[in-house]
Formats: sequence, C-alpha cells, structure tokens
Amino acid sequence: MYVCLCLGVTNETIGRAVAAGATTSKQVADACGAGSECGRCRRTVRAIIAATESDKRRPPRQP
Amino acid sequence: MIPETHSLVLTTDYRVPDPSRVWPLLQRRRDGLAALGAHHVFVYTSTTDPERVLVTIALETREPVAELLRSRAFFDWFDAVGVEDLPAVFAGELIERFDFVGELGAPGIVVVGIICVDDPAAFRAHVSETRDAFSEAGIRRVRIFEAFDDPNEIMFLHELSDPATVERWLRRPDVAAEWFSDAGVGAYPPLFVGRLAHMMRIES
Repeated sequence: MYVCLCLGVTNETIGRAVAAGATTSKQVADACGAGSECGRCRRTVRAIIAATESDKRRPPRQP
Repeated sequence: MIPETHSLVLTTDYRVPDPSRVWPLLQRRRDGLAALGAHHVFVYTSTTDPERVLVTIALETREPVAELLRSRAFFDWFDAVGVEDLPAVFAGELIERFDFVGELGAPGIVVVGIICVDDPAAFRAHVSETRDAFSEAGIRRVRIFEAFDDPNEIMFLHELSDPATVERWLRRPDVAAEWFSDAGVGAYPPLFVGRLAHMMRIES
C-alpha cells in the first residue's frame, strides 16, 4: 500500500526502515522520506512501527 | 517514448464525520476524475461503522501510480471530505474474479480486506481449487486484486447476500485464518463490511 502519497513510499519500504532500526516516525522519515513532506501519513507510519514491535514480541510459531 | 496506458484500481478506506458528503463531492469532481483517467468510481458505506467509507476508483492511465497519488486532486478531495490523517492507498489490478450467481439483483454485503500472502501463485491456485466452498457458503462474487508495489499483497472483495451469511462467513476459523488475519495490522485497515452505496461511470 502507498502510505506517503507525497513521495510514493509504500508500507513495504517503511517496514524495511523499521526493521533496520527506526522506532519513531521521525527516524522513518529520515530513513525513507515517508512523512517528511505534509506529514499526514504519520499516523499510519506509527501503526506500522507498532505492528512491527508487536511482531517482535510475539513468540515464534511452533512447527 | 510515450508510456502505454495501464489499468488499475485505487482503493482507500477511511472514516469521515459525515459519509453522506463523500458522494456529492465525487460527483462534483467528475471532470477531474476523468482527467486522471478514471472510468468507474464505487463508494461503499460500512454497515458496522457509520463513519466509515471505502472508495474504489478504476482508471486507465499512462501515469505511474506514485505520480497519480501525488496529484493535487487527491489531496483536495481528502481535504474536502474532512480527512486529516491520510489513509494508505491500495493500488493494484484485478487478477481473479468469480461470479457464483448470474443475475445479482440488489447489491449484497461486501467484505473487503488486504492481506499479505507468502506465495501469490499458490494462493490463486488454492482459491480457484476451493471455489465450490465459496458458493456453498453463500458467496455471490469474489474479486482478487494484486498490488503493484508488492506482489505478495492482495486485496479481496467477497460479496454475500445478507448479514446472517456474512456473520457465518466471518466466524469460520478456516476462512478467518486465510483471509482476515492481517486486517487492522500496520498499514492494513480493519476488515471492511458494507454495501455499495453509489457507482459512477465516467465516459472518456
């Protein structure tokens, strides 16, 4: 999905920035530009950060 | 070299204080939509959240998706309906359609969601192989769209006849695991359940 409409940044790109260590919307903006223009996508950026954090805390699936 | 036209759908799902304003605003922007290459616009209203709408625009355009989304028209339109936080936009193309009834009659209830699948080809094959199960469960139509920006990302639309059928469908654990597990996670909106409220055909 296209999250940052100003720069055409997708959730996949933002997910990679978060996986690489970005933990705030500002760090995401610095890493890939998302949210750095009008800033109206930052709520979704924060949701992606939260989902990634939640995923990290989840125990690994049993085989 | 002039880029070729391509077909795509853009879908946004968001909450607005007054969903009844969405359709008149779209109608007033008919010329602007035509200039973008739009040929159909569908507006669905939620049956579970009175402030939620889902809008799908089908287009033929030479513009790259990112350029389209950056156009002032989208921002103006979100401003006009009172959307402050911009929703993520699904951009993709129709890859699979099943119609289990001939004459649809009155619009049914749609369940729309976006999911990430590990193996899109295997997913499509599985859906095709299990199509009888959809029909038996009361599904009237299935549409599957593949995202341009991520081949693993799929938007689906299931159309069912009535609320009771939808309720049963949503509660089936096998269906929920396969179709609804990503709903509301990260950029993905929660599952949308609603009705087609308006449709506009725009002649080129």
